[in-house]
Parts: sequence; structure tokens; C-alpha cells
Amino acid sequence: MLKNPGDSIKILIVDDHPVVRTGLTNMLGTQSGFHVIGAVATGQEAIEALKAHSIDLLLLDLRMPGMNGIETLHAIKKLGLRTRVIVLTSFETDEDIYRAVHAGAEGYLLKNTSQVEMVDAIRAVSAGNRYIPRHIASRLTERMMRSDLTTRELEILKMLAKGLTNKQIGRALEISSNTVRNHVNSVIEKLEVSDRTEAATTAIQRGIIEVDE
Amino acid sequence: MIARKQPYFRRLTLAAVGILPLAVFALGLYFHHPTRGLPYHDSFANGKADEWTALGGTWDLITGAIRNDSDERGAKLLAGSGYWRNYSIEADVMLLGPEGDAGLILRSSDEEEGVDSYRGYYAGLRSLDNSLVLGRADHEWLEEAKKLDLAQGGINAFQWYHLKLLAYDCQIVVKATVPSQGSVTSIAVKEKDCIKSGRVGLRSYSSGGVWKNVVVRAAARKDLVAMLETLSQKEPVSVQPSIQKPAFLGSEPATGNERQRTPGSSTSFQPIGSLRLFPFSNTQFATVRGVVILTSPTLIVQDTTGGVSVPDAAQPPLKIGDEVEVYGRVHPGDFSSTLEDATVRLLWARSPMPALSVTASQAATGAFDANFIELEGHLRGKHYGPDNTLVLDFDAGPEAFRAIVNRGRGDFFFNEVKLNSQLRLRGICVVDSRYTQNLTPFVLLLRSVDDMKVLAGPPWWNARHLIAVVIGILILALVINFLYSRVEHWRLRAVADERERLAHEMHDTLAQSFAGIGFQLEAIRNGVPGNLPVVHRQLDLASDLARHSHEEARRSIATLRPPSLQSGELLTALKRCALRMVEGGTVQVVTSCFGDVRAMPLRITDTLYRIGQEAIANSVRHAHPTAISVSLDYQKNRVRLLVTDNGVGFRQEEDLRGFGIQGMRRRAAGIFATLQVVSAPGDGTLVEITACLPPHVTVLSWPHFFWKNLTEHQTNAQEPRGQHQNSYRG
Repeated sequence: MLKNPGDSIKILIVDDHPVVRTGLTNMLGTQSGFHVIGAVATGQEAIEALKAHSIDLLLLDLRMPGMNGIETLHAIKKLGLRTRVIVLTSFETDEDIYRAVHAGAEGYLLKNTSQVEMVDAIRAVSAGNRYIPRHIASRLTERMMRSDLTTRELEILKMLAKGLTNKQIGRALEISSNTVRNHVNSVIEKLEVSDRTEAATTAIQRGIIEVDE
Repeated sequence: MIARKQPYFRRLTLAAVGILPLAVFALGLYFHHPTRGLPYHDSFANGKADEWTALGGTWDLITGAIRNDSDERGAKLLAGSGYWRNYSIEADVMLLGPEGDAGLILRSSDEEEGVDSYRGYYAGLRSLDNSLVLGRADHEWLEEAKKLDLAQGGINAFQWYHLKLLAYDCQIVVKATVPSQGSVTSIAVKEKDCIKSGRVGLRSYSSGGVWKNVVVRAAARKDLVAMLETLSQKEPVSVQPSIQKPAFLGSEPATGNERQRTPGSSTSFQPIGSLRLFPFSNTQFATVRGVVILTSPTLIVQDTTGGVSVPDAAQPPLKIGDEVEVYGRVHPGDFSSTLEDATVRLLWARSPMPALSVTASQAATGAFDANFIELEGHLRGKHYGPDNTLVLDFDAGPEAFRAIVNRGRGDFFFNEVKLNSQLRLRGICVVDSRYTQNLTPFVLLLRSVDDMKVLAGPPWWNARHLIAVVIGILILALVINFLYSRVEHWRLRAVADERERLAHEMHDTLAQSFAGIGFQLEAIRNGVPGNLPVVHRQLDLASDLARHSHEEARRSIATLRPPSLQSGELLTALKRCALRMVEGGTVQVVTSCFGDVRAMPLRITDTLYRIGQEAIANSVRHAHPTAISVSLDYQKNRVRLLVTDNGVGFRQEEDLRGFGIQGMRRRAAGIFATLQVVSAPGDGTLVEITACLPPHVTVLSWPHFFWKNLTEHQTNAQEPRGQHQNSYRG
């Protein structure tokens, strides 16, 4: 029951790791009904490819140099393309999942997912459904219960994690150290931690912020 | 930011280095300035003379003047700056007795107690030969004397004279005025090798004296000229080429005291000691001779046999050291007698009596009542007494006594002297209850504050110092502890950062590669025709291996991520970790907690978490259990973590080396914990770790805890390598 190429699902793979790109392309390429249009290494290239070709589904890695997965996702949604997106990552932090879904990803898969499940997921998503595995869904709800950090709070949290003092943060953002302190307090409250050090480690652990190399 | 700070600090340091010598130089200039503190006016009228230092004599402030009423020869009182060069000093001077001199010192330095024991110029009025004296003392005496106009009646005791002494370069001029008559006498000399600078002083020789209105002014050449001019108007003055070696050496009058040593009219006198033997009943009169040892608050006269107090006597002005004859009604006392309604006659001036050195116990017997004694004691209290006196309480061994002194110029000493200092005192021992108020066995009446000498300050280990030291040590310890915890915190943070970096690295390389290889294997398998089952099986195995490796890598990454745990969350965290690992399976996870949950050091919490995680992971990976139980047991000073499963178990002798047990052991050793792994094939596995907890820190146990902390830190520092290996293990 081979369909003509026009009916097959056109897939674009976005991953910075060449081994993953090659493996994935080969694996999905051998599946009937799938047509891997290409594999690119960055979000920027992905967007260009999306503009150039009609693509049904994007397999998107989250952690990439330059434009990361979430940013790419935002950019795609902004373009108003109807391409469906499955995030394919080896990360499963609460924040990653939450943000990916929040940014409009229709599926979330881990890279150790078996071929059968992956094929099912791609089919399901391209058919218009969402595909999020049970254990990821449970963590997503867990994360949804917590309140969001504001942009300013995120900004301050990042500086905090770098070990800056309130005063230094205030100077960098050109706000008073009192304001910084208020922000830090609300961050501590929202993350449900006891102090700023813990706020930083928790934030890194949950993937709310990333540590620059 | 730091880079910007550095030049700023360097500039600051440079500026400091530049300014410091300047400041020192300026300070030096200020203190060495030849007119610093000039002009100077005394404040005797306000009862203050703290800036003056006494060398001999009994200096006291009386009615706006300063008085030395001792017969001591060459008693000096000094003030001012040793760098004063050209200046004049003037003052009103009065002699307190015949046969002596009193005057002013200028450009003085190198002073000691003694007649001519200083280096400087002295100008004074000498009653012996009615002269104005100007001379130079340099531990010897060179003088220029000039007779006053005898028509003025010579130099008399108890008459005010005005003296002005001026030094400019090597010219020294002195001018003496008798204010009542307005007559002036003066001497001017020019020296070749003159003394260039020094401070000012008041000095009396043998007669004692009173000084007031002491004024010191900087002098310029015009002041010298003006002074010389006024002189020349009164009388032709020939400026002497220099001070000549005088006919007699020393300022001691050659004629001595013999001239006046003609005893008075009374012929028989009694030793003072014998007055005590007089009967109480009938009134008897007696005549005694002795030396005045105290004039205020009461007159006390002493001879070699003892002392007698002479209250309310009809007396001429007396000074300490005067030899007197007293006639009065004998009132014998227990320890010393009193002469009442006495008449006192001055015989001649003499050197003051030397003090008798006794102990406080001896003085307390009363044997030295009304005697001039010297003793040592420790100052225990000080306060202001009535009638403008200072009262100091002492004790010496078992005895306590009290010293009373006129306030005079004692304020400075009184404020400076510290309690518990050891002092040597000279004064008149009095057992009269009017003074002792029956509080102490005797009281020492001091002639002036100069009768007290501090031998040794208070010992450093008094209560206040000890408290200060203890507080200091506590603060220091707190600071050290704080720094230690900061360092520890930084260290943990650095480890956490490094782990995070490593996790990142592993994700980007290992995990991704495994994932990619897995996909590739699937692709190959998809392409292999279905009639090759062997290849299919092998490819399935290969992708399983790749997926497994990917899993392992992911778990390693998860282990490296900082857990940031509070001890209360430890069990929850382990449970969450276990649940995550068994996700999708049918393994049951049971957790339990015993004892009171306590705050634990971060290191211990962290290590327990890692070991627990490893144990659970081993269980899930290798033992295929249906249930895993994690329990945490808080005991008095230890905590026990138990991870058990009902899996396949393993043969201990074979497998103890594997399964990350070595890693767990190393981690456990890092916090001095004991690790026990019990397992048998088919019997499940038990992993038990027991860690000692630091005791509850209280104020009392703090030093012990602190010491332990320190030693622990040292032990840790000795084996950092092992720990690092732990950190990087998956």
C-alpha cells in the first residue's frame, strides 16, 4: 500500500549533532510513508528550509548552539507556517517540556524512544493529534502548577546564577538594588526554595536557565 | 570591573605612599616647630597645671599661683616644647624663706632631679646676697650675678618680684622689677656657644617659692632690642661678652647657713617621742624642736624620735623642711601627741627630712604616727574628697590604707592613674580617726601628687581585659567559622559548576552519539530483507545496546546535575529519583523515615543522595526487583540510609567490585560514613550507609565542634583526589 510521494509525510530534521542527523535520516528514510526532505544543524537553516520547501513535520532538537529549539519554535510559529513540530531531545527537564509545549510543539520525544513509538508519534502528530508520552505528560502537569517567572525575573536569575550580587545586578540592569532584592525574593518564592543559591541551582536543574560555557 | 578597579587601587596606593611621608614630615615640622604652643599663659588661676612636670619639690596650686614649699635645693617644674628657640618667659616670683633663690629656667633640656642637673639658663633672685642671678647650668653652674639696689631693702621673702628672661640667638637678657618700687635691675650676656633651644621651668633653691602669671612668648630681634633699650634708659648696660667662670662653683651660697644658726631664746627642749609619756591628767607645757614635714591640713613636726601634730598654732609662714621650735600644751595620744595652743618659732631652713621606708603592716601598728614614711601599695579606688582633696584607697598585703592629697595639680595624675597599679607613696602617716574615719588603720597625708610614683601599671589580666580577650577570641572564631563556611560553600559551588559543565559535555558527545548510532542501526535493520533472521536478531541486539548506552549516559548526566537538597527533602528526592528510574515498570517503591528529621551538613545530604541514587540505579539495572524500599533513620548523632530490594541479588565475593560499589565506598569515606552491602543470589540486596552527624551546636559545645570541623577539613584536604574521582563517576 505504497502511497505516492505527494501523500507521504515530508519531514525536516533539525539537530546540531551529525551522528544523530545521519542516523535519524537513514532510519526515517527507510520507513514507508515518510519522506525526509533534509537534515539541518541550526534553527536558522531550519527556518530557511521551511520557507523554501513545503514541510509537514519538523523533528527539532532543543539544545543547539546559536538559536536553540525553543527560539526556533517561536520563530516558526511567528511565520504562521502550518508545519507541525515534534521536539526530539535527550533532555527531559520540567522546564524544557513546559516551554516546548508552551511554544507550540505538538509532540515531545526522547531520543531513546524506540523506532516503533517514534513512527507512531510522527504519524499521530502529522494526522493532527498531539503526542506526548505518559511520563512526560505527568511532569508537564507538575510544572504547570508552578507560576511563571517574568522576563525580568529570569534575567535576574541568570545573573544570580553567575554569582553576581544584588548591587552588581542592579548596576548592570540600571535598577536599584532594592528592586533587585524584591525580584530575587519573588523568584525564591516562585521556585519554592529557601535562598538565592538554591534558587540558582534549582533553576539550572530544572532547566529554567542554562549555564553558559 | 576588577580590571577597572586595579589601577584605581594602584593610584590610591601611590597617593597614600606619596602623602604618608609628607604627612609624617608635616607632623614632624609641627612638633619641632620652634614656636609651637606659643604664646603660653599659665592657668594656675583656674587650678590647672597639668602641663607642668616636677623634678623634686612639693608643687601645689594655691590661690592662683603655684607654690613649692619644700626646702629642697634645685626643685624644678618644667613645661613647654624642647624645640622652643627664641622666646621670653616672665612671671611674678616670691621667695618663701631667707637664704635661697627662686626664678625661671629657659632653653632647658636633659633635666634630672638635683641642683644643677639640667642644661639651660636660669635667672633668679637670691636673698643671700641680694642679687639678681643669671647663669647657665650644664650639670655644673656658670653664673653672672648683679647686686640689686640695696636701697630697695634687698630681696625679702614674701614679696612679689617680676622677672622677665629673654633669649634671642645667643643673647640672654634678664630683668627684675620690684613692682612696689618700680625699680629695675637687669643683666644681659652674649654667649659664644650658647644652648639653642629648650623648654621653660620654674626653679627654687632652698627657700621654696611661689610663681604666678607665667607667660611665654616668641621673641624676635626687635623684642631683644626693645628690652635692651629699656635697660639702657634706666642704667648703662654693658653687654657682657660671655658668661664667665664664676668665682665660686655651683649656685650653693658659699657662706652657708651658719650665720643664722643661732638658736632662739629657749634653751631646753625635749625629744618629741617623750611627749607621749606625759601624764593625761594634769596640763603640762613642753618645748620641742623638729623639722616641718607637713603644713597643710595641719602642721606636723618631726624629729628623730617621732612626730607631733601642732593644730591651730600661732605660726609664721612655714615650709616643709624648716627647722622650728614649738612650745605648747602637751596632749599625749596613744600613738603620737599633740601640742595645743602652741607657738611656733622658725629657727632656720634645712633640707627636708628623708622618708622612712616601712611596710603597710608596720605603719598600721601606729608606731609611725605623725612620721614621714614611704611605702608601696596597690591602688584600689579613687575619688574626690571634701575640701578639694583627692582620696585614694590602697591595699598592701592584708592592710588597707588611704592617701589624701590636695587636689592642686593632681587632676591629670588622678585621671591617668589606673586602678590596681602599684604605687610608691611618701607621706605623713596619721592614725587619727578624723582622717581614717575608722575605715582604715591609718591614712597617708601626701604633700603633693609628686609624692606618688607609679611603679607598675595594673596587671593585664584584670576582669575587663579578660572579658575583652574572650569576646575578641569569640569574634575571631566566628569570623573564622564564617570564612570557613564561605570557603566550603565556594568549593561546593565550584564542584557543582564543574559537574554541570561535565554533564553538558557528555550530553553533547556521548549521549548524542549513542542516540545517532541507535537510529542508524534501526535504519540498517529496516533495510535488511526479512529472510535474514540472524542479521535481524543481531541488529536488534545492537540497537538495544545502543539504547542502553544512551540510557546510561543520560543517567550519568542526571547524576552530575546538582541536586541542591535540604536534608528534609532527601527522602523525597530519593523517592522521586527511584520513581523516575522505574518509570513504566511495575516496580513498587516504598520509602519510610524514622526519628526526628534534622538539618544535616550539605556534604552529608549530597553524599547520601548520590549513594542512594547509585544503589537504586544498581537495583533497577541489575536486580530486576518488584519492590525497592528506601528508608532513612535519624538517630542521636548519626543518620542511616537503607536501600533494599527483593531482586536477584548477587554473589558477594564475585560482584562486590562491580556495580559502582567501589564508587559508593569512596563517596562514603568522603564523609567518614560506613557502607555495608549485603546480598546473596536470589535473596535481594541491602545497601546500608551510616554517617555520623555533627552534634547539635550549642554555645557550650561550640569550640569542640569548631575544632572537629577544622580537623575534618584538614583530613579532607589530604585526599582531594579520591573525592574528585567520585564526582566524575557516573
